Amino acid sequence: MPDFVVEMKAIEKSFNRNKVLHRVDFSLERGSIHALLGENGTGKSTLMNILGGVLSCDKGEVFVEGKKVTANSPSISKRLGIAFIHQELTLVNDLTVYENLFLGRECKKGLALDKKSMIKGSAEVLKQMDIDLDPCTCVGDLNASYKQIVEIARALLENAKVIIMDEPTSSLTDVEIEHIFRIMRSLKEKGVSFIFISHKLNEAVEICDHYTVMRNGHVVADGAMDGTVTENLLAKYMVGKELSNDDLYHTRPIGETLLELKGLSREHEFTGINMKVRKGEIVGVTGLLGDGRSEIFATVFGCNKHYKGDVKICGKTEKMTSTAKALSLGIAYVPRNRKENGIIKDLSVGCNISISILDRLRKLFFIDRKEESSNNSRYINDLNIKVSDIDNLITCLSGGNQQKVVLAKALSSNPKIIILDNPTQGVDIGAKLEIYRIIMRLAERGVSFVILSSEAQEILMLCDRIYVMFHGKIKAELKREEASEEKIMVLATGGSLEKAADSN
Amino acid sequence: MNEKLKRLDINKFSGKNSALIAVILLIILSIILKGSTFLSYSNVINILLNNSIIGIISLGMTLIIITGEIDLSVGAQLALTGLISISVANSTGNVFLGIVLCCLLSVILGICTGGLVSKFGIPSFIVTLGTMSIFRSVAEYMYNGGGLTVKGDALSPYIAISNTNLFGVLPLPILYWIVLSIIIYLFTSKTATGRHIYAVGSNEKASLLSSIKVSRVKIVAFGVSGLMVALAAIIESARLGSMDSATSGSSYEMDAIAAVVIGGTSMSGGHGSIMGTFFGTLIIGIINNMMNLLGVPPFLQGAVKGAIIIGAVLFQKRLDRKSV
Repeated sequence: MPDFVVEMKAIEKSFNRNKVLHRVDFSLERGSIHALLGENGTGKSTLMNILGGVLSCDKGEVFVEGKKVTANSPSISKRLGIAFIHQELTLVNDLTVYENLFLGRECKKGLALDKKSMIKGSAEVLKQMDIDLDPCTCVGDLNASYKQIVEIARALLENAKVIIMDEPTSSLTDVEIEHIFRIMRSLKEKGVSFIFISHKLNEAVEICDHYTVMRNGHVVADGAMDGTVTENLLAKYMVGKELSNDDLYHTRPIGETLLELKGLSREHEFTGINMKVRKGEIVGVTGLLGDGRSEIFATVFGCNKHYKGDVKICGKTEKMTSTAKALSLGIAYVPRNRKENGIIKDLSVGCNISISILDRLRKLFFIDRKEESSNNSRYINDLNIKVSDIDNLITCLSGGNQQKVVLAKALSSNPKIIILDNPTQGVDIGAKLEIYRIIMRLAERGVSFVILSSEAQEILMLCDRIYVMFHGKIKAELKREEASEEKIMVLATGGSLEKAADSN
Repeated sequence: MNEKLKRLDINKFSGKNSALIAVILLIILSIILKGSTFLSYSNVINILLNNSIIGIISLGMTLIIITGEIDLSVGAQLALTGLISISVANSTGNVFLGIVLCCLLSVILGICTGGLVSKFGIPSFIVTLGTMSIFRSVAEYMYNGGGLTVKGDALSPYIAISNTNLFGVLPLPILYWIVLSIIIYLFTSKTATGRHIYAVGSNEKASLLSSIKVSRVKIVAFGVSGLMVALAAIIESARLGSMDSATSGSSYEMDAIAAVVIGGTSMSGGHGSIMGTFFGTLIIGIINNMMNLLGVPPFLQGAVKGAIIIGAVLFQKRLDRKSV
């Protein structure tokens, strides 16, 4: 009989009349890492919110360490030892590590804060995790993985036995992810259990002991993560059908050079960038997070006026001074971090699609509403954006559909070159493939793409040519045929291919 | 299901038009309390006339607040530009020239403010706190802390701008207010720049990356607001036949901001409406009027007004939350 620290039995939950959980069973073994997988909107968060006491279930029972939980609330669940680490971290950047760890539960000596014992407590917890970190460091100075670690430390300090991690790796580099995984493994040995929610199936396969896959509010598969479980199998469970991407890539005619960068440099960001993008070509730029690729193309799109070197468009050197100019030269840009840079949250879906081209839709003084709605519905159909009413706010849509709206905005200016920075960030696997197909279809029509991504698989699946970057420089240019995940990894971490070949 | 849908629609409607609902409730309340006096022709005209100046200023203020900025200098700007309009009209005898120069100057001042805010990234609160002080001080220096009266040839045409009744019943300032409200309404809801104003206020970074000329949009908002202030200054100076460098327009910025906020425009930018601002101005006007009719002591009226402003916004938040 396995030792279950959490058991949820026949959980049902409805919002209004929408049933989002249908008799869901979920059990978590002590000292294990359990992957909870599923596309967006399949009920994962609802289930976790019930466990965390944020929501109450309509039917079903929750047991924590064998004891039935009757009335639940966030504070009760915390006391039961369940900690929830959200995707958006809840640390205060201006405070130090120890102040964050004890936020809201500060130790006091009379009226004054007891700094000493807080620092001591923090140091103990960090030592328990084998982390070498000064508790007096300011959290704002830490990198993303250490921030994640501080969140875990805070959970441990609250005596958490179960830590729920929602998309913990989405903003981390590969090295940082390894760091987090190492800590998760060592804590597992000490009896802490994790629930790991992620879109990245390869990570789930790597770190987890068990998996549960949800689809449309049902558990469709669960079991132990033994050697037979592969990413493809999990993806199949999630989508409900075999996903193949073999037929995704097509060779297509490639035309003359549209965009050329010559010796492009910007202080502290990137140096000596030479790059070419031809008509109908899909070019990938990859590397680790913070390698300067986003900055290069923000510059190409006119976000930074001060740069050295040349940007040539259709053979003509242009000074990229504003985003409006870039658009008029036929460049479109889909930035990373949809929430901050992509969507305009107070506007409707339709307004978000047409916002870049309103000047072109003008009739006399006013916006030509007919023209606008025909433009919008064309892209809604073309990109298969699921929206009940185009006048709804964009925030009503799921992540994948929001991303398609941002893509539609870029497409509606009829660009020759589209720059996509992390185009499938926070997008579930079904929508991801759909976005890939859209890219391929447009490339066949002669649109050029530059895809910036840290996900090697994504780059390998789509691109004709790949530039690998390291520390603001282009490390290598690979053709599709010669590229592989291993080569990209070696180059992106600063190694060179000859050395790697020698050591083999 | 059908009933549910209906209720949803009502919630949605009331969320979007909370200022209108507040006006209606206020009017009903006023009729109950002071029926015949409140509804009399002279009282209704009085309310509209007394609030037309603030009403016009709040139109421009709405644009600025939707972009996520603020303008504290409108009151001082009104005094300065009004005085210049009078002095040009007095010295040349040409009222038209006075109006044109006044508008031109005010738009330029607005553009400068907008430029400082958008190109140099100084918070608008700070910039306009400074310009408020500059405008007031320059006006006081130029006219020695005193005022200026319209006189000579310019007198009768200048005064006529505000003291004429259309068809003998509708004082022109009310008409100006309504016409300008319609124009600015069309500007915000039907033009590209109008849509851009909302976009910039909602998410400046995403707007920039959507190839919107963010600084131009902000400069336009401040420029249009400058024009509104100039027109308000001309109407005000024509109504009274004079302008005072020290007292004219003082605390108008607060009334205008209050009208905009009561009208449902969010101080953080991104959403709001001209219609809301129009009704917001009316709400303040009706409250002021009722306090006089009910004999609330003048020194206490500010307290009552303040409490009602907070209450009105609270009421709207409730409605908004329901509609989501």
